[in-house]
Amino acid sequence: MIEVLSSSALATVQDLGRFGAFKWGVGSSGAMDPLALAAGNLLVGNPVGAVAIEMQVFPFEVRFEQPCRFAITGADCAARLDGRPLLPWWVTRAETGQVLKLGLPQQGRWRACRAYLCVAGGIDVPLVLGSRSTQLRGAFGGYEGRALRQGDRLPLQPRNSADGPVDYGIVAPALSMPREVDGTIAIRALPAAEYEEFTAPSRAAFWQSNWRITPQADRYGYRFAGPTLTRATSADLRSHGIMPGVIQVPHGGQPIVQMRDAQPSGGYPKIATVIDADLWRLGQAPIGSHIRFVETTWEEAVAARSVVDEWLREVARSLRSNCPSPEAS
Amino acid sequence: MATIADIEKLTAWLSATDIAMLELRGAGGTIRLTRRDKGIDVHRAQSSDEAVAEVSGETIKAKTPGVFLHGHPLHQEPLAGCGNEVKAGDLVGLLRIGSLLLPVRAPRDGVIEGYWAEDGAAVGYGAPLIELAASESER
Repeated sequence: MIEVLSSSALATVQDLGRFGAFKWGVGSSGAMDPLALAAGNLLVGNPVGAVAIEMQVFPFEVRFEQPCRFAITGADCAARLDGRPLLPWWVTRAETGQVLKLGLPQQGRWRACRAYLCVAGGIDVPLVLGSRSTQLRGAFGGYEGRALRQGDRLPLQPRNSADGPVDYGIVAPALSMPREVDGTIAIRALPAAEYEEFTAPSRAAFWQSNWRITPQADRYGYRFAGPTLTRATSADLRSHGIMPGVIQVPHGGQPIVQMRDAQPSGGYPKIATVIDADLWRLGQAPIGSHIRFVETTWEEAVAARSVVDEWLREVARSLRSNCPSPEAS
Repeated sequence: MATIADIEKLTAWLSATDIAMLELRGAGGTIRLTRRDKGIDVHRAQSSDEAVAEVSGETIKAKTPGVFLHGHPLHQEPLAGCGNEVKAGDLVGLLRIGSLLLPVRAPRDGVIEGYWAEDGAAVGYGAPLIELAASESER
């Protein structure tokens, strides 16, 4: 068991997401930074989609009630185990009773805002509609269908073994695969269905401006601030299916990117869609930071996905050949 | 000692892997095969490399070939800068192999006197990394 000691809200239990339930109006949920979750799982010898704790309000504290190998990935939160500093993206063993504390995200070489606690074996919560992610809107999945609270005791998978290799880490993908334009985080996007309905200056401004992430940015969606985007037509749209990554432009002309807990339908015009391979980058971009949307093509979007998959495969290979795990199968 | 045919075979084999560097050591010297963007560089280690490798005692050496890092890639600061006291088991550097990071820890209490290998340098097995002096209290 892992006991949650802090009262900070908004930490949730997540896997890679609940896909295939859109037909019932159920959104995907899942880690905002799926790459950090997948890599954290590989670090402790889990399948990439094992269940971890996503933290986004700090400080955050848990106590291990059994020996456990774990890795913290995502934002570098200057984690400490019983006061002893731990490196980010690193595998450590905790003993019974030890307290893990994550501080504020560090302003180091990568500004990020969400951290993942991945434990060997994963957190043991029931599978609902094909995923163990917390579906906050529907209040199911994850741990009792809600964000974690002080005093929650999360069970670990019985196959969890505290014995295995520890004391190694990996280089964060933000450093291995940096993507910037003029020093601003670059997020690749594809023009969406209503793109051509926006005025030419608005379309140009969309790609050329630095967009600030407003405080209205959470697991549901990110609202951006920048130049006003104008649609040439005022025709309303019928409600239609939307996915994480879809960039809507409501009447105010300021775009909203749908994130993991987005509802699966909406009626605002869509100017573009963030490609799957860059959603993790956006999921880690903190409130107040700036991003740039970069136009891409379907072919490049598919190729970008392969680059991410290849990075994960390289991590898995490096770990296999240098940190052989007795439980690896 | 490896023949030219052996080296060619190793070069072809290395091209098909993720391995960044292969070091061959024998009585006749040391040969390094280093992966570049396209192809493999073959380099005969200089005799000065060998001389440095003779230093022992307080020298922390590489337990695996890799890229030596003074600090964590996400941090601005080195793990243990020159002149700093460290305790046995403290992290003093990292060895990077591809994406993987392995710890370089102080074998005993001491003071970091200097670095044998620069931050970001490719080092072979047994290469000297850090000079650890006895701490003030021990002198």
